[in-house]
This record gives sequence, structure tokens and C-alpha cells, in this order.
Amino acid sequence: MHEPPADPVKYIETTVRLPYCYVAGDYRARQLRAFKDRKILGSRCSKTGKVFIPPLPNSPESFAPCTEFVELPDRGVVTTFCVVNIPVIGRSIDLPYVAASVALDGADISIFALIQECRAEDVHMGMRVEAVWKPDGERQGAHDDILYFRPTGEPAAPLESFINRL
Amino acid sequence: MTASLRNVAIVAFAQRPIVTRDEHRMATEMLYPVVREALAQAGVERDAVEYQISASTDYLDGRPFGFVAALDVMGSWPPRQDLHLEMDGAFAAYYGWVKLQAGDVDSVLVATHGKTSEGQPERIFNLALDPYYHAPLGLDPISTSALQASAYMARTGITDADLARIVARNRAAGARNPDAQLREAVPAEVLQRAPFHVRPLRESYLPALGETATCLVLAAEGVAERLCERPVWIHGAHHASELQTLGARDLSRSASARLAAERALALAGLASAAEVDLIELSATTPVEELILLDALGLDGRSPDGPVVNPSGGPLCGHPIMSTGAIRLGEAFRQLAGRAGARQLPQASHAIAHGAQGHCLQQNVCFVLGTERRWR
Repeated sequence: MHEPPADPVKYIETTVRLPYCYVAGDYRARQLRAFKDRKILGSRCSKTGKVFIPPLPNSPESFAPCTEFVELPDRGVVTTFCVVNIPVIGRSIDLPYVAASVALDGADISIFALIQECRAEDVHMGMRVEAVWKPDGERQGAHDDILYFRPTGEPAAPLESFINRL
Repeated sequence: MTASLRNVAIVAFAQRPIVTRDEHRMATEMLYPVVREALAQAGVERDAVEYQISASTDYLDGRPFGFVAALDVMGSWPPRQDLHLEMDGAFAAYYGWVKLQAGDVDSVLVATHGKTSEGQPERIFNLALDPYYHAPLGLDPISTSALQASAYMARTGITDADLARIVARNRAAGARNPDAQLREAVPAEVLQRAPFHVRPLRESYLPALGETATCLVLAAEGVAERLCERPVWIHGAHHASELQTLGARDLSRSASARLAAERALALAGLASAAEVDLIELSATTPVEELILLDALGLDGRSPDGPVVNPSGGPLCGHPIMSTGAIRLGEAFRQLAGRAGARQLPQASHAIAHGAQGHCLQQNVCFVLGTERRWR
């Protein structure tokens, strides 16, 4: 074979641009709309009674349809968490911050949430927290209508109350 | 080929009617009721089906591992043996058939989804081409189909009017199919007046891109009879691919479709594709239909022979990733007597074909029958 050229072309630049426009979906559209009214919707499994948030059309566990929407309180319990010391792309959050799994009261699975208004070292499993919403008139029906969760100061929840809702 | 294989049948098929854009449902919301309906047809709960395959492409989902969302609506708990295929559902059904031949499961669920309206398929499928020479040219499935059409028309002397007549026949059939996206018969003269999209393909010769979700259930002999009154048996199946480099292939022919068809027919014990009653082809243009009929050894210009695409075919609705699964589903409906207004009388054998990639790069061919193939 011939020797490679002394000054070879090493790279080809390829810019890939793929725009998407997702439909919210039937169940999520209802949930997002409810955020405007400071309401959190889950859906209930018609077979086991388990409540899912975000609301799902069916229970992934039982395969039965979720035919009922349930309004959930905007407070719950930290089931597990981590302390993040690296910046988030696209958000300005003071470091370190806590990313937590929060089981809302009445929900059988947890959601991911940012914990603020307390020191990272004070967060613990079982800590009671509540949502802090964008003010009235500013909520757009989007996931960031809930800005973050903060401690309520209530006594910690016992482990057995949330161990199956991690 | 004298192999004696396991008798495997299609026992259920469900699909949503194809639409251009379902504004109100995400892919999983489209798929869940379809999986339920297929199981209801078979009269079983999810636990009764042992293996599951989903067919979709993450590029349409717009996220890596997007296919895992389908697991939540396929009844995947307790944990199932599972496969995902980044290919059309017809290929997933082929893998299901192979899995059933291995003998360790007796039933397989195949689910397909794809929200073509959420992304831009012409950009997405440009990326399926080689990134050095082809993709930067801006080629998309329509322009590569047009290259193929030019090559075929030059080799065979097929005319624009011939293409219009083929589309008109498909559109007339689609008008009888409640699941089709385009349900209006249009005369050839009208189709032939449409402007060229990419010459020699007119706008009216292109598939209607749409979205849907489908679910097939396959089962082996011994189980199939319990799940379906009239199971439709797979007599032969074969999958073949050819080169990606378009310049390295004769685009006016499909060598891999020919191989897939020959092997599937041989396994089915048929001497010729002319012996079947109907053929459902994943032909996204009238030229692809002719190329595929050539590959099957049939003359696309002859009025005799098997009925081609009694469903209206992809020209009346092309939900990417489900198009081939629907060909299998339509062949099942015809042979099981479930084809409604488009039912052909006394159909006993069918061919169903699935394709993937630019210019029919990959092909899968099934031969189906109303009786068991092997004793």
C-alpha cells in the first residue's frame, strides 16, 4: 500500500440537528394543566389501588389500567437523597445542593425533587418536606411550576412508613 | 430445503388506525390499549405470554434507550424475557419465530410504536446513510427512492402512467381499510397530475407518513389452538440484508428481497409466489412494489396472480417501525377471516414482507397458511 499523505485530513465535522416536539400525552397534559392551579395529580391502579405520579395510563407493575385521577397533597417525605457538588448545566443552584426522592403523601412511588432552604447536611431520610410553587399568575403548566421542596419542620417519618415507596 | 420445523402461528393482531399525528397520546398511551386488545383477542392475561419483543427506533423517540418506555405498557412485571429490536416489527416477528423454533418458549408478544410526527423523519433517516459521502448530500428516503425509481424505469421501460395505475390500485384498496391513513380512492389520471416531489416520484406516489402502535401475538402448536380459533401458521420465513453503500448495489433490483423470498418459499414447500392468494408488501413507492414483485418472480404488470396489498399498503399509511408488522397483521386478518370489507374469499396462503433501510436494504419475507405446515 501507499504511505499515508504527510499532511492527512484527520476529521470530518458533522453537525447533527434533530428537533423534536413532544406531545404532552393525555395523562401528563392533565397533570401539567393542574399545576397551574397548584394541584398535583396522580393516577390510581384499578387493580391494586396504587397511586402513581406522574399519572400513568396503566400500572407497570400489575398491567391494569389506571382509570381514576387522584389529587395529591404537595407535601411528603424524603425517601432517599444525594448531595451534589458539581454544577448543573443550565441551572444556577448554589453548591452543594440536595437532589432527593420525595414520596408525596398518598403516592406509592416517589418523584425527584430539589431540596432547598436548609443545609445539605441537615437533610435526612424521613424528613418531611413541602413544595414551593411559583407565585399565582406565573405558573405555566410546566414541571418547574414547583420550584423546589423545603423542610416543613414536622417530626421525621418512621422508616417503615416509606421503605416501600423509595 | 427439507427441514421440519416447529409449527408457529400468528394468533392475534391489534393496531390503532394510522393517523398523521395523534395530538393527545404519547407513544406509550398509543401502545398500551393495543397490547391489551391483542391479549383480549387471544383470551389470555399478560402472564400467559412468555417472551416479549418491542420494535421501535430511539431516533424517532428522540432519546437514547427510548424503547424502555414501552416496557411499562407491555406488562413487563414480574421480569420477562425481553428483546428490543431497532427495526420494523416484521423483523421483530421474525426474531420471535426464531425464538419459538428454539423451543424454550411457546408464546411471544411483539409490540411496535413510533411517533413520526414528533421528530423529522427526513432528517432522522438521512443519518442512516454513510456520514462521509451520502448523508452530507442531504439524501433522505424519498430522494434515495427516486434514485431507485429512475434506475428501475431506465432498465424496464416502466412509465409514469404505469406508476400512477399502481398507486390508484393501492388507494382504491385503502378506501376499504378502516385502519388506513388515506381512505380515498383516487383515479390514476388525477394521481398523475400531482407535481413531482423528487423526480420521477410525484407527491401522489409517496407513502403517507403516519403513526400508530401495533401488537402481534405468536404461539407454537399446542398453545396456538387455545389462543385462536383460526391460527395463521408461518410456513416459511427468511431475513436477508444487502450493502449499505447505495453505489455498490443495483438499485433497480433487490437481491436480498429475492433471497428472502426464495428461502421462505422453499421452506413453505411452494414452487412459486404465484401459488399464494395475496401478498402484503412494505412497498413505500409504486416502484418498490414492482421491484419486490420482480424479486418474488412475479410480473407486476400482469393482472393475474396474487392480490397485492389488499389493505392499501404503505402508500395508504406508512407508520415507520410498524409498517411491516401491519403487513403481517393484514395477512393474518385475511387468512383468519377478520379483514372486514376488504376480505378476500377463500384465501389460504399469503406472503407478508417487511423492509428496512434505504432502497430496500433489508428484507424479511413470511409465507403464511391456514393449515399447519409440518406434521
